[in-house]
Amino acid sequence: MDDAVVSTQDIRKAFRSKRGDVEAVRGVNLSVQRGQVFGFVGPNGAGKTTTLRILTTLLMPDTGVATVAGFDVKTEAQKVRRHIGYVGQAGGADRSATGREDLILQGRLHGMSGSDAKERAAELVAALDLGEFIDRIVGTYSGGQHRRLDVAIGMMHRPVVLFLDEPTVGLDPQNRANLWDQIRQLRAGGTTIFLTTHYMDEADELSDRLAIIDHGVIVAEGTPRELKRDIAGDVITIGVGEHDLHAQKLMSLLKDMLFVRDVNEEPEQLRIYVDNGESALPPIFRLLEQEGLRLATITLSVPTLDDVFLRETGRSLRVEAATAR
Amino acid sequence: MKVLTDVRLLFWRKMLETLRNPVYMLTSLSAPVIYLVLFAPLLRRVAGNGVFTSGNVVDTFVPGLLAIVAFFNGLFAGWGIIDELRSGVVERFRVTPTSRFALLAGPVLRDLVNLLVTVVFFAVIAIPFGFHLHLFGFAILLLLISLLLVTTSSFANAMGLILKDEDRLAPIVQGINLPVLLLAGMLLPMSLAPQWLEVVAHFNPAYYVVEAARLLAAGDIAKAKVAQAFLVMVPLTVFVMAWATRAYNRAIA
Repeated sequence: MDDAVVSTQDIRKAFRSKRGDVEAVRGVNLSVQRGQVFGFVGPNGAGKTTTLRILTTLLMPDTGVATVAGFDVKTEAQKVRRHIGYVGQAGGADRSATGREDLILQGRLHGMSGSDAKERAAELVAALDLGEFIDRIVGTYSGGQHRRLDVAIGMMHRPVVLFLDEPTVGLDPQNRANLWDQIRQLRAGGTTIFLTTHYMDEADELSDRLAIIDHGVIVAEGTPRELKRDIAGDVITIGVGEHDLHAQKLMSLLKDMLFVRDVNEEPEQLRIYVDNGESALPPIFRLLEQEGLRLATITLSVPTLDDVFLRETGRSLRVEAATAR
Repeated sequence: MKVLTDVRLLFWRKMLETLRNPVYMLTSLSAPVIYLVLFAPLLRRVAGNGVFTSGNVVDTFVPGLLAIVAFFNGLFAGWGIIDELRSGVVERFRVTPTSRFALLAGPVLRDLVNLLVTVVFFAVIAIPFGFHLHLFGFAILLLLISLLLVTTSSFANAMGLILKDEDRLAPIVQGINLPVLLLAGMLLPMSLAPQWLEVVAHFNPAYYVVEAARLLAAGDIAKAKVAQAFLVMVPLTVFVMAWATRAYNRAIA
């Protein structure tokens, strides 16, 4: 028996714009099993947030079927809402209230009695370690505290599935790590989590399964391990520093080497995909020497989800993130 | 009733916000005082020239001003909702089973309470300036301008949700404000207007409110103009609230 908490069949959504209709989501099929952390990954504008908004009843799909917690998002929106938690990119905590008031209000809006809501709020404050700031006005919170409260608000009514939209955007590394811990803790407690992110390392770190979306379609899906295994071998990254004048010539020379599968040029560096990194290093060194190219850096690593994205889309997320800045 | 509980919860949330920022309340209380001190003396001068046909000039001026306050206070709601869109509060509530009507009605009710406090305060302050308070008429006047506030506040909430941006909201609010204000005879009675202007005024719902408000403040309850004002405002309020509820319900991309 299929135990999918979230499933979609061919959902599509177009938005009208001045240049005609833009299809943000072009036939997405997904299935998220109970108890999983499901990572939904892609660059900005790929259709992640639109898909998430459809699943959380904020947007109607144009066509296709989506069920969440067993209910149809189109025809049973209120029932879907009863069973999901949602933490949007902006958060959602009321800045003029205290954190505890926010928690209790959320519980009450989900139909809890006042005393149940208070009890549940206290439980979450203890479990998620919010006691230090929960009775202060939210407007005074730091970014990390605010985000922890947002997640707690989403968990108030014990949802079947918690949707997190880019939860770590804007957080410093320490708060990011804290939030990751919080997400793992929720998962250990049995909550299904649907998480969007454009950070590949985040998806890799947290997800049981993940899907990569690009231009409104899913280009890869599986466990992080499966996806990376498909790119067998190693990655050698060479920093070419100021010398990227030679990069074109160097790339074609590298591609001619038998053990090199692919080479990708990025700003000031080349990523070389090889069968066996250790045995590939010496000949690559020799080649660079012949060409009179001074190396800035060289790194040998295993493929990451960035490499998966690159293979599926022909574009590098690192480059896109760099140019977006 | 889940709807009533939701309305109460969301009303109280906004009310707490107001109580925690007494500056807002003080600002809205000070406006009528400024009008009375800086504008009413001018009217007294005009009154001597036979501009006002009946009674005390303050009795003509104050009811119109109460209607202005209701009208303005409601329209300001648009800014609040844009702020809440940005902080994600609106989205957060929309992903709960909360009644969509309550999402609108909670904040509107807060605006209404603010208005009633302001208006009662204003009426009392106006007494030493020569305002005659007829209690029963005044109670019905409160009901009438409440309808006006609920309409403008609902409208502004919905416009905020649709436009999502202060810079786009401002010209619309401003574009409505001035003609409605002038065509309602809030500052000076429309009976002073040339005929074409008075004809145009009849297309303005606020005109009926102001005309009726003047009668009600004078204690003239059983007048056709009072009935007329309610006949205009009740359906308008229901219509605008229904439309604004739809704005909460509809997909907001």
